[in-house]
Amino acid sequence: MKKRRLAGVCCDANYQLNLEDGLACAGHDLVVFVDAARGLRRPFTFKRIAPGPALPAMSHALGPAAVLAVAAELYGKTPEARVLAIRGHSFAVGEGLTERAERNLALALEFLVEFLKEARS
Amino acid sequence: MGQKITIEPVTRVEGHGKVTIRLDDAGKVIQSRFHIVEFRGFERFVQGRPYWEAPVLVQRLCGICPVSHHLASAKAMDVVVGAGPGKLTATAEKMRRLMHYGQMLQSHALHFFHLSSPDFLLGMDADPAVRNIIGIIALDKELATRAVLLRKFGQEIIEATAGKKIHGTGAIPGGINKNLSPEERDRFLKGPEPLTADRMIEWSAAAIELFRDYHRKNKDLVDGFAQFPSNHLSLVRKDGALDFYHGVLRAVDADGRKVLDDVDYQDYLEHIGEEVRPWSYMKFPYLRALGKADGWYRVGPLARLNTCDYVPSPLAQKEFETYRAYTDGKPNNMSLHTHWARLIELLHSAEVIRDLLRDKDLQGTKLVKTGRRVPEGVGLVEAPRGTLFHHYRVNDDDQITMANLIVSTTNNNEPMNRAVNWVAMNVLSEKPVITEGMLNRVEVAIRAYDPCLSCATHALGRMPLEVTLLGADGRVLQRKVR
Repeated sequence: MKKRRLAGVCCDANYQLNLEDGLACAGHDLVVFVDAARGLRRPFTFKRIAPGPALPAMSHALGPAAVLAVAAELYGKTPEARVLAIRGHSFAVGEGLTERAERNLALALEFLVEFLKEARS
Repeated sequence: MGQKITIEPVTRVEGHGKVTIRLDDAGKVIQSRFHIVEFRGFERFVQGRPYWEAPVLVQRLCGICPVSHHLASAKAMDVVVGAGPGKLTATAEKMRRLMHYGQMLQSHALHFFHLSSPDFLLGMDADPAVRNIIGIIALDKELATRAVLLRKFGQEIIEATAGKKIHGTGAIPGGINKNLSPEERDRFLKGPEPLTADRMIEWSAAAIELFRDYHRKNKDLVDGFAQFPSNHLSLVRKDGALDFYHGVLRAVDADGRKVLDDVDYQDYLEHIGEEVRPWSYMKFPYLRALGKADGWYRVGPLARLNTCDYVPSPLAQKEFETYRAYTDGKPNNMSLHTHWARLIELLHSAEVIRDLLRDKDLQGTKLVKTGRRVPEGVGLVEAPRGTLFHHYRVNDDDQITMANLIVSTTNNNEPMNRAVNWVAMNVLSEKPVITEGMLNRVEVAIRAYDPCLSCATHALGRMPLEVTLLGADGRVLQRKVR
């Protein structure tokens, strides 16, 4: 996505979402959270998301809804937000993506680029 | 009919674990265990990989303290390339220190404000729906803002030294791959406000005062909760100073007598054993000098302030003196005082960051040293949660043939079990009704150690944790899953 250099679009990469991501979200009008996902039947899903309870599923990390809740409660900002979930096929320890995951990623990327272009216009 | 309690997942700790508490027919606790239910994979995963990949690969077992793994691994590989302790260039060592103290700052701030302060400021019996960071925001926006910015400042220090704020590549065998530009230095020293080192020092000092105020009002709870004697282990600088990046191994017993007297950690296997118990995937380390039964020890902030002689920064030293005076200079064995110790370390980290930023060596250009290649190396650091051991063997083809990691949470395995047992015996035993607040106290006991179970088990993916109450016949009476 960074290589596409879309005007007005910033990219950030995190291992886990956390408190300070609420500050980053508060500074933008539109936020798209992107991650690999289990249990999908399609190459990817794209869903609207709203601020939600800050109960982390595993402690230090926050979910996208909780990050948005931090932005809303602490900074009074509620950016429009989506989650782009890309279907993964193997989550075992290893290198690189499976071929199927690579295809899903490519499809999701093209979709996201078009979505962001439309959102800017 | 007897009973058994399981708490799963324990929230606000990292990874996947399970607490099981077994009760007899009268509701009296007869056994408590803190299990880890994931497997260890990274030690096998790195086998066959070139040694220079290890510092980048191993940090992926953790999303919270990857810098600790990055640096412990790099230190082990320094030894392998003949540039072990004392041989790095000044720029390389100080850049690594800055990276590490940046991580201590962000991790300690995250733990206290995000994970622990809800228990203190909102109450252990508060509705779990609000006993979290959003509840803290509603209670005190200024405090929550500081939490966000302390964490952000630490993350940006990491990014400037490691190349990325998560899973960076800065440390390489024998040195570092970048220095700190004057622009980066000035940004951290001069701002824009409030993201300056001086402001982080001010806020860290205020956090200590916040905890002390809570302590003054809740002395019995803070002093008595999960208090039990133990040995304590950490690295200390050769002169006895607190040091998170490098030093010698020191252990003291519950009365302060030295059990390990400042030994070289390259010889850790002579001093540290790892016991396997059939009910847990996580090993139980112990001091060989004291044996399996008596040799278990604590690591982390509480242990570090028990083993060191002083703190080498002025404001934190002053706080350390107050802290040590509270136990008349004897080791502090009170689990909740870990938070006090952690905040003193937060202040110390902020002071060290400021001092390092003022050091011109960070703009040096001599970044890497090499020497005589050897087949084996051990690297230790004091991670936020405690002493972290990385040990590798490398063959003539530069491939890793053996890796042994003893992570902080594994070192605290027995103490966390003891803390859970204290709560089981003192809070849950023989009570007619087990409330959510009572079960939360089990989590509070574990949380004091800020465990990272994904590190301890070297697991990836989704890692929850649960608490279950079981009867003597094995029937599940209550299960807490968030």
